[in-house]
Amino acid sequence: MNRMKNIIGASLLALFVWGFASCQHEEENLTFGNKCIKRSLGPNVWSTQMEFAYAMAIRPELGNLVEAKVEASIPGAEGTLLENQSWYAKLDGMDTAIVVGEPCVTEGTLSTVKFNRDTCASTLRYYYTIPEEAKGKEVSFTFSAKASNGETVSMQMGPYTVASMDMKLDIALGGPVSYISIEDMAAYTAAEAATMPEKIDLVYFFESYTLAEVEGYDQGVAFNHAFVAPAADAEKFLPDIKLPAGVNRNTKIRDVGIKDAHLARLHLKDSPEAQPAIFIDDIDLRDMDMSTMPNYALDLITNDGMFIETQDGKYKAYIYINSARTGRVGATISMKRYTMY
Amino acid sequence: MHNMKKCLKIGLFAMLAVAMTSCLYSDFPIDEDGLLITNRSECYVSRLTLLGTDLQSMHYNFEDAVIDTVACTIQVRLKYGADLKNVYPQFSLVTDAKLEPKVTGFTDFSDYKTNPPKYTVISGNRKVRKTYTIYIQEMDFIPY
Repeated sequence: MNRMKNIIGASLLALFVWGFASCQHEEENLTFGNKCIKRSLGPNVWSTQMEFAYAMAIRPELGNLVEAKVEASIPGAEGTLLENQSWYAKLDGMDTAIVVGEPCVTEGTLSTVKFNRDTCASTLRYYYTIPEEAKGKEVSFTFSAKASNGETVSMQMGPYTVASMDMKLDIALGGPVSYISIEDMAAYTAAEAATMPEKIDLVYFFESYTLAEVEGYDQGVAFNHAFVAPAADAEKFLPDIKLPAGVNRNTKIRDVGIKDAHLARLHLKDSPEAQPAIFIDDIDLRDMDMSTMPNYALDLITNDGMFIETQDGKYKAYIYINSARTGRVGATISMKRYTMY
Repeated sequence: MHNMKKCLKIGLFAMLAVAMTSCLYSDFPIDEDGLLITNRSECYVSRLTLLGTDLQSMHYNFEDAVIDTVACTIQVRLKYGADLKNVYPQFSLVTDAKLEPKVTGFTDFSDYKTNPPKYTVISGNRKVRKTYTIYIQEMDFIPY
């Protein structure tokens, strides 16, 4: 038993020494320090923003903060900025901001905020709007801060891989029929589709036919909101629809229940509508096996989704239905698209 | 030292209990799938749902499949446009029974008219086998 006690005692002592040493290490860097976290989640898709929180602090007796900078390895698109307000959590847990500097100046890869308030600690948020030229590349960031005593601190974040896919939000589908082009990531009218038949991959429409072979013929309907390839069996899946000349592509469609967070934005909503964020990344689109999938998807509703593969195999896409009107034509969709070659 | 002895006794007792439990269960052999072969002779399907690629039911109006455990048939009505090339049949079986062939993913039921899908239920004692045939009816619509 004594031996056991000795072992336990020695272990506790070792833990204490290690803990003390760690504290000492922290203590050494406390004159002027900085920390950074990436706040945004999911794949980094161009046109979306990456968000960081950059915290910096100097001992009050040594000076105050005069400048904070972020340098990106690739210049950000419009909307890239380092906020000039410092964030902290109030006692009730709410994020609260206080303006501490001049508005951000972004030139090329560099975003700078000059402090105009006498402060020795601050947490600024940095928003990097991912530019199109960053598609498929890596981007990294150098955060730095300068104090009135001339001292500087800096830290590196990344590299982060930017996804190759493209994204388009809130494409309106009207009636009676909309023609969707995956290549253009857009929806067209019949007249517009007639001028570019080779680009049309999907036909959207709403029909409410009574089902046969059900007693009373009033127990259900077929179609509702339907997305059908122009080459699908017209009698079965494109009833009463006269396609513009040349609109004949065959598109594979896989109906899925996934709600991509970039497109659905349900995780940003308040409870009870809020849902966990699930993201579709390049690999999901690239590796999705569509070989046995049909060329139609019927009876879709708000929050449904579908994977798409174009006839030539050039594009794979995911379409999310943000809203579909009840009982009549009209929907809003969003799209992620991956170029296979 | 008294405590140490007590701990040892408890440990030995626990090991003995585990050994005895193992002996009890060794009466039930394990089949080629690593499943216990038990005494149960019941052999039937209690529920079947055909799921689509979105893993949602493809049944018309979400109605239940009609299962005849005497005739060994299952009647399912599917909503219009159900994709029969990619069906995930989700079976519920009586306790200890297993299914042949195994459901390992999406299955092609598109030739159901000429070749209705068949699944065999094997009882827990592996002595009773019943082959169920799934009869599918696709809903159609009446154009205006």
